[in-house]
Amino acid sequence: MNPYILSILLFGLGLGTMTTFASSHWLLAWMGLEINTLAIIPLMAQHHHPRAVEAATKYFLAQAAAAAMLLFASTTNAWLTGQWDIQQMTHPFPITMITLALALKVGLAPLHAWLPEVLQGLDLTTGLILSTWQKLAPFSLLLQMQTSNSTMLILLGLASTLVGGWGGLDQTQLRKILAYSSIAHLGWMILVMQFSPSLSLLALMTYFIMTFSAFLVFKLNKATNINSLASSWAKMPVITSLTPLILLSLGGLPPLTGFLPKWLILQELTKQALPLTATLAALTALLSLYFYLRLCYAMTLTMSPNNLVGTAPWRLPSFQLTLPLATTTTMTILLLPLAPAAMTLMTI
Amino acid sequence: MLKILLPTIMLIPTTWLSPAKQLWTTTLAYSLIIAFASLAWFNSPTETGWSCMNMYMATDPLSTPLLALTCWLLPLMILASQNHTSSEPAGRQRMYITLLTSLQIFLILAFSATEVIMFYIMFEATLIPTLIIITRWGNQTERLNAGTYFLFYTLAGSLPLLVALLLLQNSTGTLSLLTLQYAPAMELSSYADKFWWAGCLLAFLVKMPLYGAHLWLPKAHVEAPIAGSMILAAVLLKLGGYGMMRMMTMLEPLTKELSYPFIIFALWGVIMTGSICLRQTDLKSLIAYSSVSHMGLVAAGILIQTPWGFAGALILMIAHGLTSSALFCLANTNYERTHSRTMILARGLQMVLPLMAAWWFIASLANLALPPLPNLMGELMIITSLFNWSWWTLTLTGAGTLITAGYSLYMFLMTQRGPIPTHMMALHPTHSREHLLIILHLLPLILLILKPELIWGWSA
Repeated sequence: MNPYILSILLFGLGLGTMTTFASSHWLLAWMGLEINTLAIIPLMAQHHHPRAVEAATKYFLAQAAAAAMLLFASTTNAWLTGQWDIQQMTHPFPITMITLALALKVGLAPLHAWLPEVLQGLDLTTGLILSTWQKLAPFSLLLQMQTSNSTMLILLGLASTLVGGWGGLDQTQLRKILAYSSIAHLGWMILVMQFSPSLSLLALMTYFIMTFSAFLVFKLNKATNINSLASSWAKMPVITSLTPLILLSLGGLPPLTGFLPKWLILQELTKQALPLTATLAALTALLSLYFYLRLCYAMTLTMSPNNLVGTAPWRLPSFQLTLPLATTTTMTILLLPLAPAAMTLMTI
Repeated sequence: MLKILLPTIMLIPTTWLSPAKQLWTTTLAYSLIIAFASLAWFNSPTETGWSCMNMYMATDPLSTPLLALTCWLLPLMILASQNHTSSEPAGRQRMYITLLTSLQIFLILAFSATEVIMFYIMFEATLIPTLIIITRWGNQTERLNAGTYFLFYTLAGSLPLLVALLLLQNSTGTLSLLTLQYAPAMELSSYADKFWWAGCLLAFLVKMPLYGAHLWLPKAHVEAPIAGSMILAAVLLKLGGYGMMRMMTMLEPLTKELSYPFIIFALWGVIMTGSICLRQTDLKSLIAYSSVSHMGLVAAGILIQTPWGFAGALILMIAHGLTSSALFCLANTNYERTHSRTMILARGLQMVLPLMAAWWFIASLANLALPPLPNLMGELMIITSLFNWSWWTLTLTGAGTLITAGYSLYMFLMTQRGPIPTHMMALHPTHSREHLLIILHLLPLILLILKPELIWGWSA
């Protein structure tokens, strides 16, 4: 893509999110979200491949519907309470509608149906932006609203972890697997949002780091389905041996970083007298773990046959930037002992 | 405490930086030094309290035998793995030893943890190296299924444990074992508390394993390479027993009634798995089911909550760890020669490998709990305490002892006596390494006859 256009679009992405971060008025927040959507649509469709254009269209429709609902809800709130302040929402009806609108924006179950198909149509880099950056703006809005509607948030959370686990079980395409992983992790974040927004933010940040590593590993392998991961042992043996740890961290196994948000969220839920919710959420994490484990098996724990030429591509130079991968992989595997520090840093 | 932990951690750089020719000798010597140093833990001046303490770790008479067993097992695993990994590139051999060492580190941290959440995290952490050892270095396609069963059975039990521990922390304010065992008994009267009780114990019962939740064990033990089978049988099952013994004091008045079905499951499991052993054709599968059988007795002994029950459980855990690991090593010597685990394909070995037959004999006698070996001591103490609880358990435990004797002798006679098959013409004579391996298993077992105080816990 023309570098000027690319930089304008990336600046647009940044502007949109920053506008939403900085806003205390619902209209400004909505504007930021719309700028974000508009900026990413050309990025999604840049390859002009029919599947990519289809993904961009679906994304636009879902996000536009969510933004319209958001606008309607904030207008209703202005009508009912006389003010547009984000942090002063008191009436339950607009709160519920805005929560559902933001759930559609972000991809929480039962409003998740667009996410796997959109992610499948994108290349891995744009998919990474969709999975990480695009979640920030709606999240900032969700965190600022003092929601009193606890049942709905818990239901959204549990449904998301369930759908994220179950939906991913049948997939062989890596981008769809990552989409369902995203849904599951968002479910965990929503579960604890009303009790401890800082834990929600911690879960979001650890999810960003883990999914960044996963996307980068797949990008390095140029792999889009499970079978193409099977040849990575010959091309990059060290990354292949570290990837199970990244995937098991996404699955939330101790002593890896991914366990940290789950542990703290379960602790918060038990403190709030919701042990059954906690147990259900924990057990649904096992569903996601199954497909992460399947990826581990296909990639590292079995050595797929390869012809002689295929065993030595590591001799050819490659110019991919692996420093971000190294940083995020280290953080994905080793951050659990920093749990107390992480907790003190996340003070909202 | 750190005198053992830090050298074990430093074994990992040692593995990667040693020259390839000296890799196995270096790691073996290093881990043997650590193992001998770990025996110093037995010399604890306080008989019922904690010793060797730092902020996060301590030892007491319950954890010391298990820690020593763990440290003792690493050189044995390295000895056992030397042959079957010899055809692999050096990097993969180093990776294998690194996995064994990391398992060791997590196990030391688990057994010496003074806070229950740290024990939980280390308990779960042992799953990852074991999973990688089973699925990457196992020999048949079934190993993937075995790894999945292993991981998911254990996790399905241990996630409710995490929630139960967090609930416990809410009500008592602390999860430090130093104070938790002296905390006043909790008000455990509601229906939900019964689920909490089950949540606390389920993970350990699956790990032990209890008869109903034991399906992962035959798969995992059979498909694992020899080091994997050794560490699984000798130590990882004991994590379950150790966890149960730690948690029991907090579960107080509920255990009297709620443990009833689990004791019955455990005892019935002794009979059932013993009977299955009598019909096995796969040697490793026989030893695996024998493990379930013995651990069923351990589970029953712990759930009884009497001093003899606890002491018997601990003694049986240590004795069974050494015996089962020895049997797996012996089975592996067969496997490395014939590449088959089928028993009828490798019979009459007494004619071919007579000294190995002597080790088979001693190990089989240990398995069937021959006096004066500690296996008998443990079993007898558990059977007695169960008899004290209810006379009827004697039918199950007595029949269990009989069936255990039956299948242990069956295993010995099947592999050692009888006609040699005609296809076994060129078996390697026993390596000294293999003799050393078995002796290092059986010698501690025999020496423990002379000083059982080391392994009977607090009931000194």
